[in-house]
Amino acid sequence: MFEKFLLTKHGHPGSVFSMMEIAVSLFHGGFVRFDNKKKSFNDKVLISKGHATSTLYPILRDFGVISKRDWDNWGIKKSNLRIFGNTSIPGIDITSGSLGHCIGSGAGMAVSYLNNNQDKKVYVVISEGELYEGSTWEALLFAKHRNLKNLTIIIDINNLIILGNTSDCLKLDPIKSKIEGLGINAKEVDGHNIDNLVSSLKDCDESNDVNCILAKTVKGKGSSIMENKQNWHYWSPMTKEQIEITKKDLE
Amino acid sequence: MLQRDIFIKEITKKLKNDKKIYFLSADFGAAALDELRKKYPKNFIHCGISEQAMLDIATGLALEKNKVFVYAMAPFLSLRAIEQAKCGPGLMKLPICMISVGIGLGYADAGPTHYANEDFACFRAIVGSSIYTPSDNTTTRFIANEMLNKTKFSYVRLDRDYCDDLQPNLIKKDYANGFKLYGKCDRKKIGIISHGKIFHKCMNIFKKNTNKYVLINLFRAKPFPDKVVNIVKKINRFMIVDEQTPSGGLSSCVFEGFSKNKFYPKIISKSLPDQYIFDNGGRNYLLKKYGLGEIDILKSLKKLK
Repeated sequence: MFEKFLLTKHGHPGSVFSMMEIAVSLFHGGFVRFDNKKKSFNDKVLISKGHATSTLYPILRDFGVISKRDWDNWGIKKSNLRIFGNTSIPGIDITSGSLGHCIGSGAGMAVSYLNNNQDKKVYVVISEGELYEGSTWEALLFAKHRNLKNLTIIIDINNLIILGNTSDCLKLDPIKSKIEGLGINAKEVDGHNIDNLVSSLKDCDESNDVNCILAKTVKGKGSSIMENKQNWHYWSPMTKEQIEITKKDLE
Repeated sequence: MLQRDIFIKEITKKLKNDKKIYFLSADFGAAALDELRKKYPKNFIHCGISEQAMLDIATGLALEKNKVFVYAMAPFLSLRAIEQAKCGPGLMKLPICMISVGIGLGYADAGPTHYANEDFACFRAIVGSSIYTPSDNTTTRFIANEMLNKTKFSYVRLDRDYCDDLQPNLIKKDYANGFKLYGKCDRKKIGIISHGKIFHKCMNIFKKNTNKYVLINLFRAKPFPDKVVNIVKKINRFMIVDEQTPSGGLSSCVFEGFSKNKFYPKIISKSLPDQYIFDNGGRNYLLKKYGLGEIDILKSLKKLK
């Protein structure tokens, strides 16, 4: 992904690196089930923080859902891939970008599957900044009321929004007790520890209710230049030295 | 019967054989809705008083190839959830029909929070939406059936009040056109274009002066029915009557539709003023006070040279 940021010279690396292990756990951990015959996924993943949808592209490339051509051309020649995901991109289940929409949309999908006895799950990844959107809480109320056991919400909590720390800008804590106050199971995990994430996702699969994973993350994880820096929400030009340092960090 | 009951009854009938239909309400009711809720509890979804989440939930349902109807009071469904409408059915071209009840001053005397005088302009701006404003039950039934047979991103503006059926009744051909013409076009006549409940005031004026006016019920404003231009091109003076604020209302719609078709007659707009209305007195009193009483419309028509 870093190579792609260097080529496209835009995007949201801080947000992508914040949720990389979450995406890897979902897909390579087998929670999002892949149908080899259809070459598509049985379950849905909605990236509500649409500016980080590109996190999924290398994974979808691994599964052959995104073509080698589209992946290789991205940032160089004509490619179907975009910074913000949309439904014209293979494997991307929703057009997102505006915050606060996807728990509701995921809940709609989950209702449809349950009503039709379809064995399908929905995973929604939101940023903690989306907890500022009223529609997020409206949808959480709905998900709990309907006991949407096939819906799992993962909140990527890196404590940063564009203008600074959430605790300084507008306090969100305690997130866990707020979610639990709605009657929704909420479990805190290290969002960069794949074993922890896999274990929590397994618990969600076995649960009979809607679940929420509070993934404690670091914005720009893996890059000493980007980590915990709000200005790395967006791509910024890098010196040759910074590029070398980041490449080494990410090896 | 009210327009909303007509619409919901058609949905209930169709639900018997089509379980892909979902009806979502933001805590807004109707006599006919009680039957739908009772008969088809799996297909009725109460979303709470949460118009934004309702549109997002509808988006998820529609992405799974369901036909979705969302239902709420017009001022809240339209303006509160407009970004959800853009990002869901708009951006992804999803089959979601928004049923918006209580347009114009329908909720008089609740005051401006409950009036939907800007919804038409707002939804005209949303890419890919179709907009319908029926004046009677027959037209409402046609709209409901179109949406049930081929659900699309649409914004249907229903009146809160009972509206008499227009005579002569709308027929299939009129519905396909998107408008209905009353009277014969003649260059000496003035064309009156309107929709919704206020169209009935125009109808009263027309019936008393059929030699002076031609009346057009433009129940489908978007996509604009270009065919209307060929029908009315002999006329060079029009009055557009609309229970909305002036900016972006039916007058703008007709002006843009005509000019797109290279038709440039004189157009006078008759709408509510560009202000929020706090007075009491009921809908008819307010319409009269703000220049949309039958006599006011007639006076303005007489001045139209």
